[in-house]
Amino acid sequence: MLHIIEAGLRSTVQDDPRRGRARLGVPGAGPADPPALAAARALVDEPDSAVIEIVGLPFTFRCDDRRIVAVTGRDISVRAASRLPGWMGFAVRPGESVTVLGRARYAYVAVEGGIALEQVLGSRATYLPSSIGPLPRILTTGDALPLGPSWGDPGRAGRRLPTPAYDGAIPVIAGPHADRVPGALATFLSGEWSVAEGSDRMGLRLAGPDLAWEGPDLLTCGVLPGAVQLPRGGAPIVLGPDAQTTGGYPVIAVVASAALGRVAQALPGERLRFTVVTADRAAAELRAVGAAFAVI
Amino acid sequence: MRISAFGDAALFLELEQKIDAQILASAVAIADAWENGEGAGEAVPAYASVLLRFDPLVLSPEAAQARARLIAEAQREVPRPPPGRLIEVETRYDGPDLAAVAALSGVTSQDLVELHAGREYTAFFLGFMPGFAYCGTLDPRIVAPRLETPRPRVPAGAVAIADGQTAVYPFDSPGGWRLIGRTALRPFDAAADPPALIVAGDRVRFIPV
Repeated sequence: MLHIIEAGLRSTVQDDPRRGRARLGVPGAGPADPPALAAARALVDEPDSAVIEIVGLPFTFRCDDRRIVAVTGRDISVRAASRLPGWMGFAVRPGESVTVLGRARYAYVAVEGGIALEQVLGSRATYLPSSIGPLPRILTTGDALPLGPSWGDPGRAGRRLPTPAYDGAIPVIAGPHADRVPGALATFLSGEWSVAEGSDRMGLRLAGPDLAWEGPDLLTCGVLPGAVQLPRGGAPIVLGPDAQTTGGYPVIAVVASAALGRVAQALPGERLRFTVVTADRAAAELRAVGAAFAVI
Repeated sequence: MRISAFGDAALFLELEQKIDAQILASAVAIADAWENGEGAGEAVPAYASVLLRFDPLVLSPEAAQARARLIAEAQREVPRPPPGRLIEVETRYDGPDLAAVAALSGVTSQDLVELHAGREYTAFFLGFMPGFAYCGTLDPRIVAPRLETPRPRVPAGAVAIADGQTAVYPFDSPGGWRLIGRTALRPFDAAADPPALIVAGDRVRFIPV
């Protein structure tokens, strides 16, 4: 068992996104920062395991038995028997408490053996708005999560991965409705943006230049995480992992898959810029992100 | 027809810009055919478009586009699907917007109930939230634009209308449609098989109680 001593604000169990039910209106959910989740899994050698996504540090837990643990996220550190960096696998003794510290919007705890929960609709990911998942609620102090079998191989501790860069312009691909709102994409790309109140796993709200528009409504169409939607009021929303499966606002740009975690981790007050890349270039970046975890 | 990139892992295929049963049938047929291909992901049909996901590590954007074009051309003249199951939604017409919608439409509240319950709807597609079926179309005499400011909380089971469409809210959520009634049915249950009460293609009738 993994016991939660200090739960953060809106921490949940996450897994690979739920696929195959978009036509029933079921969002994928899954991690807000996919490369950070993949790295945490790789560091404990549990590539398919369910993990904890922490929202609102600090977060403290302990395990009943000895486990290899890894914590990833933006600007995080770990306090266990000693102070440790993130992005590293380390052994935790039975009952030893581990605290995750830092200012990440999202941090991930992967544990040797994985969190042992049954899939619901094909995934163990938590979708809070409709309470879907095997543990479909915010984690709280006192929760005990079952863990899968441990391997007891001390040689697996000490693996490290480089912390990816979370700064720099966010690569986007021009969206399918960019031409419906003339000038909006150009202003979106030349402007400087900050993260506004009300941002969550459904969407990141941006504040910056005024992109208000008028014109006929769009027919509702399918959307996905990373889509930059432009409501009439002119404040763009970058859809997150819990975003609805269809939307009715123009999509002026779509964030490159490899950069979804970077945009999700943007901090309040931080300045964001967006830059256009080709789909080929975006795919190459995604390949590079995957390759980084394959080497360990 | 227009195919454009929807990021690096999906295409957006736009058939038309109108609501039409034949176009929707094509969108569904394209979605079905797409999902069978190698490297293809989920497809999401809506009124007149399909979002086609793919794995960019398996399929290049050019290969995905070429495949989408072939599929779309083959599915242009699909037969309309046979009528779906009939789902009856027992509805208590006491929603907070009933009187206002009736006034906007220039009819009495009782007339509005008869107009809404008086026809059979088709579930076009699901979206917005799990189990939320966009059904239509409303009698054109019903005037119900979306609310200027969405409500922060619409209760599960609310029967709502907007812009020629009607739906039942499966979960408590924010919402901008106008609420004319409520039902005890809950359109989504993750533990049920299938989890959605109303699926695309079903016929839906509202029964006043």
